[in-house]
Amino acid sequence: MGSLVFNGQVVALNEEGFLVEPGLWNEDLARVLAREEEGLETLDEEHWAVIRFIRAHFEEKQGAPMVRAVCKGTGLRLQRIYDLFPSGPAKGACKLAGLPKPDGCV
Amino acid sequence: MSAELDQKLEALTDETLAKGLAVFREHLKEAEAGFLNACVRCGLCADSCHYHRAEPRLENVPGRKLDHIASVFRAHYTTFGRVAPGLVGAKRFDRDMARAWVDAVFGRCSLCGRCSLNCTIGIPMPALFRAARRALGAMGLVPDDLQANVENSLRHGNNMAIEREEWVETLEWIEEELQAETGDPQARIPVDKQGARCLFTVNPREAKFFPLSLQASAKVFWAAKEDWTLASEAGWDLTNYALFTCEDDQAAAIVKNLTDAMTRLGCEVLVIGECGHGYQSARWMGPEWLKSAFPFPVVSILELMDQYLDEGRIQVDPTKNTQPVTLHDPCNLVRHGGISEPQRRVLRRAVNTFTEMAPRGIENYCCGGGGGQLAMSEYRNRRLKAGRMKADQIRATGAKVVAAPCHNCIDQLSELNKEYQLKVHIKTVAELVAAALVPPTSTPSSTPTFAEAQP
Ligand code: SF4
Ligand code: SF4
Ligand code: SF4
Repeated sequence: MGSLVFNGQVVALNEEGFLVEPGLWNEDLARVLAREEEGLETLDEEHWAVIRFIRAHFEEKQGAPMVRAVCKGTGLRLQRIYDLFPSGPAKGACKLAGLPKPDGCV
Repeated sequence: MSAELDQKLEALTDETLAKGLAVFREHLKEAEAGFLNACVRCGLCADSCHYHRAEPRLENVPGRKLDHIASVFRAHYTTFGRVAPGLVGAKRFDRDMARAWVDAVFGRCSLCGRCSLNCTIGIPMPALFRAARRALGAMGLVPDDLQANVENSLRHGNNMAIEREEWVETLEWIEEELQAETGDPQARIPVDKQGARCLFTVNPREAKFFPLSLQASAKVFWAAKEDWTLASEAGWDLTNYALFTCEDDQAAAIVKNLTDAMTRLGCEVLVIGECGHGYQSARWMGPEWLKSAFPFPVVSILELMDQYLDEGRIQVDPTKNTQPVTLHDPCNLVRHGGISEPQRRVLRRAVNTFTEMAPRGIENYCCGGGGGQLAMSEYRNRRLKAGRMKADQIRATGAKVVAAPCHNCIDQLSELNKEYQLKVHIKTVAELVAAALVPPTSTPSSTPTFAEAQP
């Protein structure tokens, strides 16, 4: 079990760095996750567009969106999404959006 | 071990333990049971296991993992074990032993089979470990996230719970991308095409997050003018995580999605995309689980690509792949599945420089992500540590690209890439072939090349 300290509080992460309690997520926490887990010092507008889209999808439907929906919803091309999040849509973007680890070979 | 699993272990009753033991006995075929007493403790298997190579300690020696299981067998099912347990190292199946089993067969083993290959007497370790996993399953001790994949497949027909509309919409999108890439408006991804020759199956991960490999496979089919299709309903996902939980009834229900789709669409050949455990499940285990031979051939897309190249149905230009390439051997495809040469012949044609890992082929090391390891978050640190052998092998080749014909391996290799700073690209074989394809001349696509067709 991992953890990170955020606003003086300890936030539990699973072994792969995903939030144990997705409900604790907020945008400040996303910035900390980006730095600690994904090595991204800053998040620009494109990162946020992806993160916010995934988060909204998660809050509405519980799961992670298809990368197709992410492209459509943000207007970004597929390759751009891989460039923005070095660990990819699942272990990168979904993690920063505070989702639990998606099922499957990821 | 996760807190949930720990709680379950604490709560184990004698009845549950007895049930687990009975399931274990029932699933040990006689021939395999004979091997449980065969280990001569020579220790030769130690260095064949990537866990032990990365972290040399007793618990990582395959023979030791086996011993937890063998000692229970001796205590309960042999005369000496019953009357003089101390003499033969027999131990009864109790809570602590169940914990040791979970740690050994889920926590320290990817069922890669390399130990078996190097064992003095050829003990079939994976089969014995599978019987233990099956027993733990009957006791409700399969790690939750591994089981979640099985539940998804049983309920939704694919392990990521992708809905039909999402899947079909993704295919339409990739079809448009393929048309833009090839410059051929006739380039298709046929869905539910009745009577198509080949039914193609993929890993849901491709649909959900990494569709470029799907596009690459489609491009190869397009160039070969293959008559192929994908199913819109259950029967497009080639994965079968029940191979790892070892619940044969559930495995049978999942593989039946594929055979049903073959019947429904009237296809002739079941084509398995690049995936080790998917190939193993459909080609070798499937008929066993369903207790009947399949009335159609099951082939890997690697064999098809090899055949296309051999027959001149597709042409490749290796100078399109200039970076040096090495090849990973997914255990389930190569050591267990018997597909080793097709991908090598394909790569020798499709890339400029192809360098083998040492060792290679059936002797190659597991990446560390197999046996369901990738799905079990709780063992992630061990998994990354155990991948050190693979990282060292890759580095030694000097390659810049690792071809990995298995999506499960690709994910583990991507993590190793980051963890060990390998600075390589990891690709499917189809992606390398697609990049090197010489567009077929008799289609309208002969005019715009790949580069010109980009918007
Ligand atoms: S099957 Fe593979 S991972 Fe398991 S003990 Fe043997 S060598 Fe190690
Ligand atoms: S190589 Fe075979 S016989 Fe020797 S210790 Fe390992 S399992 Fe036992
Ligand atoms: S993940 Fe890959 S290398 Fe590892 S056991 Fe599966 S097929 Fe083998």
